[in-house]
Amino acid sequence: MKARNLMVKARNLMVPLTDYLRPESTIKEAVNMLRSAKRDDERVGVKGLPVLDAGGKLVGILSMGDILKAVYPFYMPMMNLGDFTWDGMVESLARQATDRTVDNIMTKNVITIGENDSLMKCVDQMIKNKVHRLPVLDDSNKVVGMLYERDVFFIIVKAMLEEGKDKEK
Amino acid sequence: MNAEPSAVTQVVMGAQFWTATALFLVAYALIVSEKVHKTVVAIFGASVMIVLGIITQEEAFHSKDLGIDWNVIFLLVSMMIIINIMKPTGAFEYIAVKSAKVAKGQPFRIMVILSVVTAVMSAFLDNVTTVLLIAPVTLLICQALELDVIPFLLTEAMASNIGGTATLIGDPPNIMIASKAKLDFVSFLFNLAPVIVVILIVYILTIKIIFGKKLQVKDELRQRVMEMDERATLKDPVLLKKSLLVLAITITGFMFHGVLDLEPATVALFGAGLLLLISGVKDPHHILAEAEWATLFFFMGLFIIIGGVVNVGLVKWMSIQVLNLTHGNLLGTSMIVMWFSAFASAFIDNIPYVATMNPLIIDMARQLWPDASGLALLHHPDLMPMWWSLALGACLGGNGTAIGASANVIVVGLAEKAGKPISFGKFMMYGMPLMVESVTIAMGYVWLRYYVFKF
Repeated sequence: MKARNLMVKARNLMVPLTDYLRPESTIKEAVNMLRSAKRDDERVGVKGLPVLDAGGKLVGILSMGDILKAVYPFYMPMMNLGDFTWDGMVESLARQATDRTVDNIMTKNVITIGENDSLMKCVDQMIKNKVHRLPVLDDSNKVVGMLYERDVFFIIVKAMLEEGKDKEK
Repeated sequence: MNAEPSAVTQVVMGAQFWTATALFLVAYALIVSEKVHKTVVAIFGASVMIVLGIITQEEAFHSKDLGIDWNVIFLLVSMMIIINIMKPTGAFEYIAVKSAKVAKGQPFRIMVILSVVTAVMSAFLDNVTTVLLIAPVTLLICQALELDVIPFLLTEAMASNIGGTATLIGDPPNIMIASKAKLDFVSFLFNLAPVIVVILIVYILTIKIIFGKKLQVKDELRQRVMEMDERATLKDPVLLKKSLLVLAITITGFMFHGVLDLEPATVALFGAGLLLLISGVKDPHHILAEAEWATLFFFMGLFIIIGGVVNVGLVKWMSIQVLNLTHGNLLGTSMIVMWFSAFASAFIDNIPYVATMNPLIIDMARQLWPDASGLALLHHPDLMPMWWSLALGACLGGNGTAIGASANVIVVGLAEKAGKPISFGKFMMYGMPLMVESVTIAMGYVWLRYYVFKF
């Protein structure tokens, strides 16, 4: 397999940017987008998308975790209140949150990676910053794609399994 | 009733006097403006006082009259340690949820019970701590009942300021007054608690008129509250028992510290030490780190700054002016002290205010009774109403505005996070009349008890 010797850079592994969010979109629009985002030509949904302003500049990232935080009342972590919740609480708070805008709940401090960065640098960024996806930037700082933890995982799997095959031979 | 000021010694207004006065005024202005964090102002101001030789380091660190009041610091830090150890037991969640269930989920009843609980807890704990323990559960209960949380947060903050006035340990001004005037826990309870009970009852009747009719909820929403199991939160019954035991020992210690000849700080330190020991805390670092060091250092810096202006005679000069103004009429002086304290505390932090007033009152007493000293001076029968007026004015005055007391600042912050901001004007619309109401009752009480019936 020649592929193993190929230098895998962030741009080889990323999913090219097709779907992204706008800061002024509502959460309702955002969750719909997350649900139907494209991945490998299929509309399977993703767990996070970059947020770009009108000029195409990266201003944030919105993930499932941010959506959960949007319905999680700020006073809950102040004390042990998990025991005092009721059925339908999440749903009713979700309905109340539908019209909030993306820039209100997105993560503004975005960890990014350059398109020519090495795979280990991607892993380094993911682990150190506890994130599962990285927007990939080109030289002019434009978002060109998204690198997902899952795709890095598949590279690792491939390496391990091919190693096994080599030994068998 | 009139005691003419005598033996007015002259204050030397030299370079040191003006330097210290300027430092004091700039520090006060910076604290009020909130341009620089008050703790930073206090620490820097204190260090400048020492660097310029207005007060020596020896005096700043070790003098009982001029330096840091370690009684206040150790009392505060010890109570913080006890609460920090106790917090994870779930006892406070239990109390708040239980209160809502006792009220059968009826909104106004919940408001009353939570206000009373807040007031009683504030009498024994720091007001900010109490509000931070009750408010999160209040927010949750209002969410369950689909009610506007603002009236609940407002009434709790004000109840906390009222309740805190009742005891020596309830509010920092009282801790400071007790330490400087050498008054014990029982004196505070005996002199302040009766009027606080009256003020609290009138307060509840007033909030009934203001909020009572507006609060209605459907039965199915009340069911959400009634189905909460308050016992579920009690995760560590062993630690809870130990904490309650230590709390009981500490409060009993406060009751008898006069008889036992122990300072309140000693009692609190013993409680903190005992709970640290028996709770089996492996690494005390995080318990100690959670103490509010910014507040504690604010106190320390402030004591040194005040020590400086006492040292140069500014406070003495101020006390002479007060006596000239009131011509030594003690009833008049205590009424002025109470109302002035109330309005001053409504707009500025009552901690620096009381830190300044304490030496001022002592200096005033020295002018009035030059032959007395020690306890005979501090506990002069004609001076006692002055201490109680200062305590009542400074503590109750906090209710006047959104920035009058730390508890108010906390609830305003929480309301904003909840997406329901309380404007300065809105707070004052409720706070100012309620403050005037409570100080009026306090005024009647001081007049009747100390000047008419004299007991």
